[in-house]
Amino acid sequence: MSKTNNIGIPTVEEIKQAQIDFSPRCTSAGRVNDKETQKMVDYILNFARKHSLFVLAYGTGCGAIEIPATMTSRYDAERFGIRGAATPRQADILLITGYLSTKTLKRVIRVYEQMQDPKYVIAFGSCTINGGMYFDSYNTIKALDRYLPVDVYIAGCMPRPESVIRGFVKLQELIQKGNAGNGECYRENLEWYRENQQKVIKNWDFPENYNW
Amino acid sequence: MNEIIIKIGGAFLTAILAFTVGMFYAGLRRKITARVQNRVGPPIYQNFLDLLKLQSKSTNVAHGFMGHMAPIWIIIAAMTVLMFIPVLQNNLWFDNLTLKGDLIFLLYMMVFGSLGMALGAGQTGNPNSAIGVTRGLSQMVGFEIPFVMALVALMLQFKTTSIADLMHFQSSTGHWIILENPFAFLAALLSSLGMFRYSPFDIVGAPAELASGPMSEFGGKYLGTMMTGGAVFAFIKLVLFVDLFLGGAGNNSVEGIVGTGLGLLELLIKTFLFYMIPVFIGLVSPRFRTEQAIQFFWKWPSFFGLIAIGWALYKNGALG
Amino acid sequence: MEILTSILLIFLIGAIITYFIDGISRKITGITAFIFSLIGAVVFFAKVQSGDTLKFQLGGIDLQWGLNDYSYYFVYIILGLGVLALLYSIKYMEGKARLGYFYGSFLLTLLGMLGVVISQDFVSLFIFWEIMTWASFLLIIYNAYYKVKTKGIKYMIFSAIGAYAMLTAIVFIKEHYGTFIISEAIEKGAFNFEQYIYIPVFLLLGFGIKAAVMPFHVWAPAAYSKSPMSFTTVFSGAMSKMGVFGIGLVFTSFYLNANPENFYWVKLILGWLGGITAVMGTIYALIQVDAKKLLAYSSIAQLGYIVVGLSTGTKLGVMAALYLAVLHAIFKGALFMVAGAVERQAGTTDMTKVSGLIRKMPWTFFVALISIIALAGIPPIGGFVGKWLLYEALITESNNYILVIVIFFSSTAAFLYSYRFLFGLFLGQEEKETENVKEAPVTMLIPMLILGVLALVTGSYPGLVFEPAAKAMQAIGFTDVSWQMSSLTNIWGNTTNLFLISMLIFAVFIIAFIFLTLKGLKKTRYVGTKEISTSGELPKEWENFTFQHDFFKPFERAAAPLYRMNMNKIWKDLGKNLEAFFGFFRKLYTGNGQTYALYVVIFLVLLLLFKDVIFS
Repeated sequence: MSKTNNIGIPTVEEIKQAQIDFSPRCTSAGRVNDKETQKMVDYILNFARKHSLFVLAYGTGCGAIEIPATMTSRYDAERFGIRGAATPRQADILLITGYLSTKTLKRVIRVYEQMQDPKYVIAFGSCTINGGMYFDSYNTIKALDRYLPVDVYIAGCMPRPESVIRGFVKLQELIQKGNAGNGECYRENLEWYRENQQKVIKNWDFPENYNW
Repeated sequence: MNEIIIKIGGAFLTAILAFTVGMFYAGLRRKITARVQNRVGPPIYQNFLDLLKLQSKSTNVAHGFMGHMAPIWIIIAAMTVLMFIPVLQNNLWFDNLTLKGDLIFLLYMMVFGSLGMALGAGQTGNPNSAIGVTRGLSQMVGFEIPFVMALVALMLQFKTTSIADLMHFQSSTGHWIILENPFAFLAALLSSLGMFRYSPFDIVGAPAELASGPMSEFGGKYLGTMMTGGAVFAFIKLVLFVDLFLGGAGNNSVEGIVGTGLGLLELLIKTFLFYMIPVFIGLVSPRFRTEQAIQFFWKWPSFFGLIAIGWALYKNGALG
Repeated sequence: MEILTSILLIFLIGAIITYFIDGISRKITGITAFIFSLIGAVVFFAKVQSGDTLKFQLGGIDLQWGLNDYSYYFVYIILGLGVLALLYSIKYMEGKARLGYFYGSFLLTLLGMLGVVISQDFVSLFIFWEIMTWASFLLIIYNAYYKVKTKGIKYMIFSAIGAYAMLTAIVFIKEHYGTFIISEAIEKGAFNFEQYIYIPVFLLLGFGIKAAVMPFHVWAPAAYSKSPMSFTTVFSGAMSKMGVFGIGLVFTSFYLNANPENFYWVKLILGWLGGITAVMGTIYALIQVDAKKLLAYSSIAQLGYIVVGLSTGTKLGVMAALYLAVLHAIFKGALFMVAGAVERQAGTTDMTKVSGLIRKMPWTFFVALISIIALAGIPPIGGFVGKWLLYEALITESNNYILVIVIFFSSTAAFLYSYRFLFGLFLGQEEKETENVKEAPVTMLIPMLILGVLALVTGSYPGLVFEPAAKAMQAIGFTDVSWQMSSLTNIWGNTTNLFLISMLIFAVFIIAFIFLTLKGLKKTRYVGTKEISTSGELPKEWENFTFQHDFFKPFERAAAPLYRMNMNKIWKDLGKNLEAFFGFFRKLYTGNGQTYALYVVIFLVLLLLFKDVIFS
C-alpha cells in the first residue's frame, strides 16, 4: 500500500526506497534460449507442441465470456489444434481470464501445480497486468506474475476473439523457439513464489512438500 | 524360418497400418465435424501431433501400478484382436494368425482393454472415473446383446465361427452378407453405434458431463497411449464389420505389391464409407442418459437381431 | 479294497481327535486338522486307483464303494480344495472360539463329500449325503450362535426337502428294479424318463437343490455369506459340485443314447432353468454392497452355466460343464479366500466401509485380479476356455438359440459385478479407517497363490484339465472324446489356439511395458488417491470422495422389470400359506377328551358304513 498517493499502488520511488524486487522471476518474453541452434528433435517436438494445445476449460473471471466465441464456428480456434481439456492432468494451457480474487488464486495455484510440464499460462485482460478495473479492490490481486509465471499477456478489457487468437499465435511462436514453458523455473523459484502467495492468501493450508 | 520372418513382418506391417489409418480416421472425423459446423477445422494429421505432444511431456504423474497397466492392457487388446482379424484376404503379408481364433474369442478379447482402463481409472480414486466406468460397462451390456444376436445369426446361417470362412463365402459366391441377411446387418449396425461411443451414446467420457470419465486422471504418455489404443480399436471394429458384412477386401487376382495396394485401397474405401454412418449420426444427435441408452438397445436392435436369427434358420432349412 | 475304508476312517478319527484336542491346547487345533486332511489326501492319491471297488454287506443290504473315472474327477476338487482351505484356515480362524467344533465339522464335511463320491450304491450315497448336509449345517450356524433360526433354517429346510425326495426315489428304485447298486439301476433303465418319471425327477430335485438351481437357490446367498470364509471356499467350491455330480449321474442314460427323443423336454426345462439361474444370480449380484453376498450370488450364476452345459447332452457341452466345474472351484475358492483375508485384516467386507486396499494388500489384490479375470471369462486365463466350450456347444450342437443370448447376457453382466468386487475392495479412495491394514499372513497367501497360478496355467494349457474330464465323460457314457493340449476345436472345424494367444499377449505386454515405463522414468511424480483433480480444491480430512453406494443405479433402472421377480418373496408367501393351511389342522388337536371320543366314534361309524368297500 502506498503512503504518498491514494490509489494503492506504490510509486516507483517508494519501491526503490523499500528495495523490494517486484520483477517477475519466470517469464518468457525476452528469454534467451541458451541453445543457439535447435536440434532436429527439438524442432519436431516443438512443432507438435505448438500445433496441439489443450486448454483447461476453466473460466476464472469475466474474460471467459470470450472463450466460447473463440472456440466456436466463427473464430474457430480448433484449426490451430486448440481444444478443450476437462482436467488439469490432461491440459497444457491455463487461461487466466481476467481478475483473480484471492479465493480463486488459491485454487488456480493448485490447478497449475497439478498440470504436467511443459505448461503455459496465458493471462487475459488488463486485470492481470496491473489490476485493471479492480485496481483498488481489497480482494483481487494486482499483478499476476508475482504469483504464477506467465508466458503471454493479452491486453484488453476484454480482448476480442481476434486478439485471443493473436495471443495464441504469439504463444506458438514462443514454443517454436523453445522459450515457453515455465514449470521448471517455477519449481526452482518456489520459495519466492510461495512467499508472495502467502502474503495475499489468508487461509493457507497447502501441504509442506510440493508433489502434485 | 522364412515363414516366421514373414509372419512377424506381417504383424508389424498390420500394426503400423492400423495405427496410421486409425489416427487418420480420427483426424478426418474432426475435419468432417468442423465442416458440418461451418468452420475450417484442424488438419487431418492433427491426431499425430496430439500423440507426439502427449508423449513428449517432460514430467509424469503416476497413480500406481494399475494406472500403469491401463494403457498397456488397451494396447494388448488392440494388438491381439488385430492379429486375429483378416485385414486382407489370402494375402501373404497381412494374413497373421487368422485361422487360429474365431468370433467368440474376439468378442471376449475386446473387453480386455476396457477392463484394463476401468481398473486403472479405479485406482486413481477419482469418483468421476468410477462413475464413467460404471456407465460404460452398463452400456456395454446394452449394445452387446444385438451384436451377439447378429453374430449368432451369421454363425447359424453359414455354419462357421471363423471370420476367414465368412469372407471366403462372400468372395466365392460374390454375394455380400449384407444381402444374405440384412437384418443381421441392421442389428450389427445399430449396435456399432454403441461400440464407437459417439453421440448419442457418449455419456461415458463426456467432458462437460463427467470431467471426461475414466480418462480424467491420465495425462502425458498414458493419455497418448490410450488415445492411440482408442484409434486403433476404431479401425479394428471397422475392419471387422467390413469383413463380416461388406465382403472384405483384397480378393483380387492381381499379384504382388500392386495387388496388395489395390486391396488396401478397397479396404480403405469400404471402411471409410462404413465409418461415416456413426460419425454422421453422432454429429446430429444429443446424448442419451445411460438407462435410455441401455433400453434403446434392448428394443429395436434386439428385435432386428431376433428376426435375423429367425431368417438364418429359415434360410438354413431348419424352420422349414 | 480296504484302503477306501481306511481313508474314510482317517477323516473320521481326525474329526474326533481335533474336536478333543481343542480342549487341550487351542493353538494346534488348526494344524492338526490340516495334517489329517493332508495325510488323507496323500494316501488317497498315492494308493487309490480308478476302478477299485469294495463290496460288502451291512444289515442285509449290498453296499458297494468304489471309484470310476467320473468320481475320480470330482475327488480332485474335493481333496485339493479341502486341503488348501484347511491350510488357509489355520491363520484365518486363529483366536476364535469353539475351534474344535469348527474343525471337527469341517473334517466331517470332507468325509461326507468323499463318501458321496465313492458310493456306488444308493444307500451309502444317501448316508454320506446326510452326513455332508448335517456337518455343513453345523458350520453355517457357527457364526450365529444364538440366532440359528434366521441364518441356517432355510438351508436345512431345502436340504431336507431334497433329501426326502431322494429317499423316496431310492426306495422306489429298490421296489421297481430290485437293486440299490447305481450301475445296475442305470442298466435296467431307471433314469430313462419313460416309465416312473418321478424317480429321476425326484433325484434331480435332490441334487438340484444342492447345486442351487432356480427356483431352489434361495438358501444359497445367506448360507454362503454367513458361514466362515474358509468353509465357504469348500462349501461353494466343492459341495455345490456334488449336486453337479449327481445330475451328471442321473443323465448317464441320456448320454448313452444316440438319439434321445424322450429327453427333449428334460433338456429344454433344465437348460432354461440353468439359464434363468444364471441371469437372476448375475443381476442380483450387481446390486450387492457386501462382497461376500456378491460372491454368493455369483456362485449361483456360475452353477447355472454348469447346469446348462450338462443339459445340452453333447460332448462339447458336457466337457464345458465339467471344465467349468473345476475352474469354478479354483477361482471361486480363491475369491472367497480373498474375501476372508480382507475380512480378517480390515475387519469387514462391506464395500461402503472398506476400500482402497491395493497398496496395503498387493498379493491379495493380485490373486483377486487373476480370479476375477477367470470369472469374467477373458483370455488368456482359464475361464475363457469354459465359456468358449459352452458357447460353441450351444451354437453348434444344440438348437436352443435364445438360450445362447440369455447366457451371453448373463456373461456380459458378469463384467459388471467383477469390476464391482475389485473396485469395492481394492481400488477407489483410501479410507482413513483402513490405514493400518497389513498384508495377509503367509499361510493364508500360499493357498491363494497356488489357486491363482492354477487359473493362469489352465489358460494356456487347458489340456491339463481336459484329460481327466475326457476320462470322466467316457465313464458316463460318451465314446471317443478327443481333446488337445493347447487348442480348442468345435465340430465345424474352427480352432482357437490358446498357446499362441498367450504367447502373443505376453510378447505385446513386454514390449508395451518396456516402452511405457522407460519413457520419462526419472521425472515421475507418484501421487496418492487424495491428489485428484477436484476442481482445484484441496480436499479436507472430512471430505469423502468414495463412490460405493448405488454403484449400478442406471442399470437397475434400465433392467427394472427383471428385478421384480423375487424368488424369496414367492417362497415366503408359500410358507405363510402353508402355515395357515396347517393351522387349520392344528385345530383338530383340541386337548379335550370328549372331542377325541367323538373322533373315535365317527371313525367306527365310517368303518361300519363302508366295510364292504374296504374289506372286500
